[in-house]
Amino acid sequence: MPALNTDLAARLSRELERSVLRAKNGIRVVSGSGKPRLGATPKDVVWQRDRAELWRYRASAVRYQPPVLFVHSLVSRSYIMDLRPGSSTVEFLLDRGFDVSMLDWGVPDERDADNTIETYVDEYLPAALAALQSETGCDEVTLVGYCLGGTFATLYAAGEESHVRNLVLLASPLDYSEMGAMVAAVLDGRLDPDEIVDETGNVPADLLYAAFFMQAPTTEIARYAMLLENLWNDEFVDAWQAMAQWSREQVPFPGAAMRQVVEELVRRNTLMTGTMRLKGRTVDFTNVRANVLNAMAERDNVVPLAAAEPASRLVGDPDRRDELRLSGGHVTFFAGRYARAHTLPTLASWLVARSDELDPAKER
Amino acid sequence: MNATPPPKQPLWLQLILRFERAIGVPVESAVRSDKYFDLVAHANRTRARLAELTEGLTQEWLHVFNLPAGSDVRRLREQLARVERQLGELAKDLERGRDE
Repeated sequence: MPALNTDLAARLSRELERSVLRAKNGIRVVSGSGKPRLGATPKDVVWQRDRAELWRYRASAVRYQPPVLFVHSLVSRSYIMDLRPGSSTVEFLLDRGFDVSMLDWGVPDERDADNTIETYVDEYLPAALAALQSETGCDEVTLVGYCLGGTFATLYAAGEESHVRNLVLLASPLDYSEMGAMVAAVLDGRLDPDEIVDETGNVPADLLYAAFFMQAPTTEIARYAMLLENLWNDEFVDAWQAMAQWSREQVPFPGAAMRQVVEELVRRNTLMTGTMRLKGRTVDFTNVRANVLNAMAERDNVVPLAAAEPASRLVGDPDRRDELRLSGGHVTFFAGRYARAHTLPTLASWLVARSDELDPAKER
Repeated sequence: MNATPPPKQPLWLQLILRFERAIGVPVESAVRSDKYFDLVAHANRTRARLAELTEGLTQEWLHVFNLPAGSDVRRLREQLARVERQLGELAKDLERGRDE
């Protein structure tokens, strides 16, 4: 009987404590206060052009080279790779001794409306890489491209003068005809790109958010229910708020690049037919000399497996290609708790095996 | 290594998650249908026509009082952006010329 009383008292005390935490975190969520710090890993801007910036994350020592450069997508904020301390892809790789940088495209405005795919692949990317080479003193690089950033990284790596040792593609589409609901409205000509650009000449961020939201509109119910159940858990609330903020913060898509994506990548599917041309060259994926890791998420409803999978067959040398199929969705497979336990250790091991170990580690 | 089993979800949460899937599956199938995309295209065109109509009306009124309308400001911003893009191109050409 005394044991039962002690157990009951312990449960009551725990519930009381959780109720206080629920009230505190409930106010925090409703008022939008106490938001977690996002993209907080210390970094330096080492190159800048127009809105694009190259960030090099600070590290005390570097154990592996070549340096790792994240090439982010055009439609979302790059801090998803550096979400929160303890839940950051960038931090994970820094801790394992990599020299990590991020190519952030910034937030496009009227001045970027004429930016095309060439602007990103043939102008910004090579210029940022030249700056990275002079910063790190290393000629080669590991490119990690996410979503459309992966497509850009592949297009760059297929160029004659690229010095890409490793190419990691995270949920990166190659077969745009398989993009499903994301492109259905423009694929059959129901909507023309000119109808979705606003007065700035870009596709507005709100429209992009709506397109992502409408992929699975009712999941918000489940997300809020999970929040309610875990409202006592500070860590859960932090992660929930971080992800909620990121998923609402889309960025405008430059109009000219959108026209090109729709006409060439979606409607003519030039990446799959081998007819994509960039600045006078025809893109040939067999030109990619890098080791290639194609990482995909099995429950990705933004870039379905069928859209990402062709990279495993078409990009680079067949002997230097690897494929990683992971559980999770478009974001959760490389960000968050699952990623920390599964994706990131696999990614780091793959990179370690294809990088040079510096002995002793290089002080920075 | 023993993995800790995930904590059991309370009944109310299980019910909500089941309800969400029960309505989510048909909703997701509806928003991936041809009808939905036709509707989106139609709604987008209607919105654009309405905006154009409202803009035309308010512009006329504002111009009566010699005031600039939103469309005037937009045109100015577009012109400025075009000038800035041309300047950027010139700067790039200069840079390339210096490199050569």
